[in-house]
Parts: sequence; C-alpha cells; structure tokens
Amino acid sequence: MGYKKIFSVALGLTLMVTGVEVSGVFASDPPPEGETGSVAVRLFLTEGAVPANDPNAAVWNTIEPAEFKLAPQVHWPDRIQEVTVKSVKVRGVHNGEDMAILLEYADPSEDAADAAAVEFMVGDKMAHFAHGQEMLQVEGGDVNIWYWKKEHGKATNMTARGFKTLRPQESQNVSATGAWQDGTWRVVFSRPLRTGEDLDVQVTPGEWRNVAFAFWDGEIVDGDVKEKGSQKAISSWWYLRAEPPPDNSIYGYVVLGIVLAAGFEFFLVRKIRRGNES
Amino acid sequence: MKGPLAKTAILLVGMYVFLKFILPLFTAPLPASLIFLYLALTFASAMIFYTMSGGSLDEFMGPVGRFLTGSGQAGVAGTARVLVFVLFPLLVGWQTYTKLAPSDLPPAENRTIHPAPPGEFVGLANPYPRTPENIMMGKGLYAAFCSPCHGANFDGKGPAAVGFNPPPANFSDPGTIAQLQESYLFWRIKKGGVGLPVEAMPWKSAMPRWEVELPDEWIWKIIMGEYDGAGQSPRTWEEEE
Repeated sequence: MGYKKIFSVALGLTLMVTGVEVSGVFASDPPPEGETGSVAVRLFLTEGAVPANDPNAAVWNTIEPAEFKLAPQVHWPDRIQEVTVKSVKVRGVHNGEDMAILLEYADPSEDAADAAAVEFMVGDKMAHFAHGQEMLQVEGGDVNIWYWKKEHGKATNMTARGFKTLRPQESQNVSATGAWQDGTWRVVFSRPLRTGEDLDVQVTPGEWRNVAFAFWDGEIVDGDVKEKGSQKAISSWWYLRAEPPPDNSIYGYVVLGIVLAAGFEFFLVRKIRRGNES
Repeated sequence: MKGPLAKTAILLVGMYVFLKFILPLFTAPLPASLIFLYLALTFASAMIFYTMSGGSLDEFMGPVGRFLTGSGQAGVAGTARVLVFVLFPLLVGWQTYTKLAPSDLPPAENRTIHPAPPGEFVGLANPYPRTPENIMMGKGLYAAFCSPCHGANFDGKGPAAVGFNPPPANFSDPGTIAQLQESYLFWRIKKGGVGLPVEAMPWKSAMPRWEVELPDEWIWKIIMGEYDGAGQSPRTWEEEE
C-alpha cells in the first residue's frame, strides 16, 4: 500500500504545481488600465567605449528609445503652466564600467540658457522627485542631479535633500555634451557606473534605479529667460536599469531541472511496477 | 468512463463551467485566481475522498498507474504516454527558465490611492455654510489653483496634467471624492503629496502642500466648489439615507 500513498501524494503535488503555473499563463486576469508610454530606461550592454561625448554617434540610432511625457512644474512656486519641451526620448548604453545616457527632445530654438537635467534617487531611501524635498510621514533620501546648460558647455554633478539644499558636489565626475539641429536637442550625459561617492547614484547592472528628467527652454522673451529655476518641464519618477551581462548558468539549471524531472518519472514508473509485481 | 478518476475530471470540468460561465449570469464574474483556488479545493477534496480506503485508492489510481507503466497499451494511448513523458521534463525546464531568466519589467508597484488620513484630520466638518456665495468663491479658487491639473471640468484632465504619474485625481469619477469625507479632502489639499503615508508613495506625487500658500478658509471653500462642480456629494457616516 505504501507506494500508492507516495505515488498519489507525488502526483497530487505535481498536478497542483503544474496547475498553478498553467493557470498563471492562461487564466490570468486582464491587467489594470495602464498608463501608456515607457516606464523604464534600459542601458544596453555594449563592448568598447561608450559614446560619451558624441550625441550623434551611430550607435544611438541602433537603440530603441524610451519616451516619457513631461509636465510643467506645478508642485511648488514659482510655477509654470505651459512648457516648451513636451516629451523626451531617452537612450542608454553601458560597457560594465561607464554609462552614457542620451536625451533627445524638441526645442524650436537654440539658446544659451537651454538646459537639461537627469535626477536619480541615491541609496535605499525613497526621495521625493522635487529635489528630494521633505515628506511628512516618510524619511526621505538624497537625490543626485546631473545638470547641463548650453552656455556652460559641461555638466554639473549636484546633490539635494529638500528645497534650498541643491548644491554642486565636490566630485565632478559627470560629463555632458549637447548638439542642437533642426529644432532638436540631443544631450548626452556620461559617468562611470560606480563612483564610490556617497552622494552619487551607483548603478549596478541588473538593479533598478529611479530616474527623472527636467528641461528648461532658455529662449529670451520680452528681455527675460522663458523658463528658469523652478519653471521647467519635468517628468515623474521612472525606472532605469543597466542591462546585466548574459548569465549562462541559467541553462545549467534548466538542464538540471529536466534531468530531475525525467529521473522522477523513471523512479515513479519503477516504483509502480514493483508495487504491481509484489 | 465510470472510474473515480473520470468522475473527478468531469467534476472539475463541471465546476469550471459553472464558476466561469454560469455564475457570472447572476453576479459579478469571479477573478481567475479565485476560480483556480476553488478548482484546487475540489481536486484536493476528491483526492482525500478517494485515498480514504485502499479499495477506492486502487480504483482511483489504477488507470493512472496503467497509463504510466504502459501496461497493455498500444496505439493512441501508447503515443500519449510517450508524449507526457517527454513533455513533463520539458515543462519543468521551461518553468526553470522563466523563473530564473532576468526580467525586463521594473518592480511592481502597489500604490494605495486613498490611504488612511492622520487622526487629526478624521471627522472634521466644513466650518463654512454651503451658500451660493461660498460655493462660487470655492469654484473661483479651484479655477485658479486646482484646474491646471485637475481640469476645468473636474475630470483630472487639465492642461498641466499630462506627464504626471500618478495622474491627477478625476473628481467626476464616482471612485474619488464621492467616496471620501470633506475632512479627507481637507487633509489631502492641506498637506499635499508629501503628506501621504509610505503605502501611497508620497515621493511620486506632484500635489502641492497647499497649507504653505492658502489659508484654511480657502481650502474649505475649494472643497465645496469641487463637490458642487463635479456633481458629487461628500460621504457622510451619520446621515445615511
């Protein structure tokens, strides 16, 4: 009688597990009404140098961009209710050491005060997208901001935790280059994936990071810069991940799984046959 | 087809048809996960029932055992047996792969849209009377401060709304302010996105903390104008009809 107990339990478990898996594949409920558009930037793994200072490098055209809609900054004064930059296409590559992120967006005019920024959460604490401003019920963390302005011709690596705390970091390890053509800015930011600085975002291939974007149209209107300071186009928090190197150990586990399953079948059939003979 | 195994199979199919197609004729459709749970319970019950005694276990397992050992099988049954024996390890291999393969999907987010308010904001009554003047003033303030995101039509589709994740609330939707008390709105407007608890992901909200810019009186009147404009009534506990 013993083998039949083992057999029925094993069969039951097998059917249950298979059922759970199959039901997950075929019977899942429809997903909730989702937002359209991208949710994440993928830094593709490449060999050789990343196109650090070249917004028009050929490699960028081989990468499918993520696209994020932008909103006017209305969260705190001074607000703005209409902005020039309505959306941004983001592409990224890394080679295991360095990364480069290309922002492409429409801006009809090339102006000295045109600017773009990439913001990251730093460390494990969640930070508010508005410069890591104070949250009332949650202890927030720092944000790391990479800021590029046309007239500066370079990037500034900054940090903030709350309003009026935005400041350049001592370690200036981010580079940026912008190129404007036919109403489109292409700005490439680059930096080593890891820097060892506490206030810098550390990008580890395979892990998700939170990222947001901001843009200023520096056109002069009536003697004043159109968008500056808190008057800018912003995105919400989205995700960014550097693609991990391919992991071939997975196939070893797949083979192991197949061998174990076949062994289970063999054991089961032999057990039943022996039971029948006895 | 009179064996216990066949009966179990027929029972499961019958249960599935009932839960999936017949029950929804009378009530809301069941989620797939719940249907699966009911089927699993049915199957487990059948297993327990048939393994109660040696005789019934033999009856139940006999066909399965014969199928697996291949005794006295030829033709279609024999081919099916080989197929099962080949497919099962492949299924396991495939499952192993899908479980281990790195996912390109970012972490799932379960954001609570209407979290519990802090105690001091529970049960506050609007201190201003619902007069046409107050409602009109509230609508004017709404137009100035709220409509850029929440929309002139109270539908969450203001010109500045595009691009925010989460999107601004749609007050004309019966699932938003109609489900909430005025004191809840007072909290949300006063403290803004940064006042939310962790389960509501305050770091993502663009809702301003209006207490630093607007007096309480204006906030109460905005609430009045919001309900009136959206054609909704605040939820109340005492005066259920």
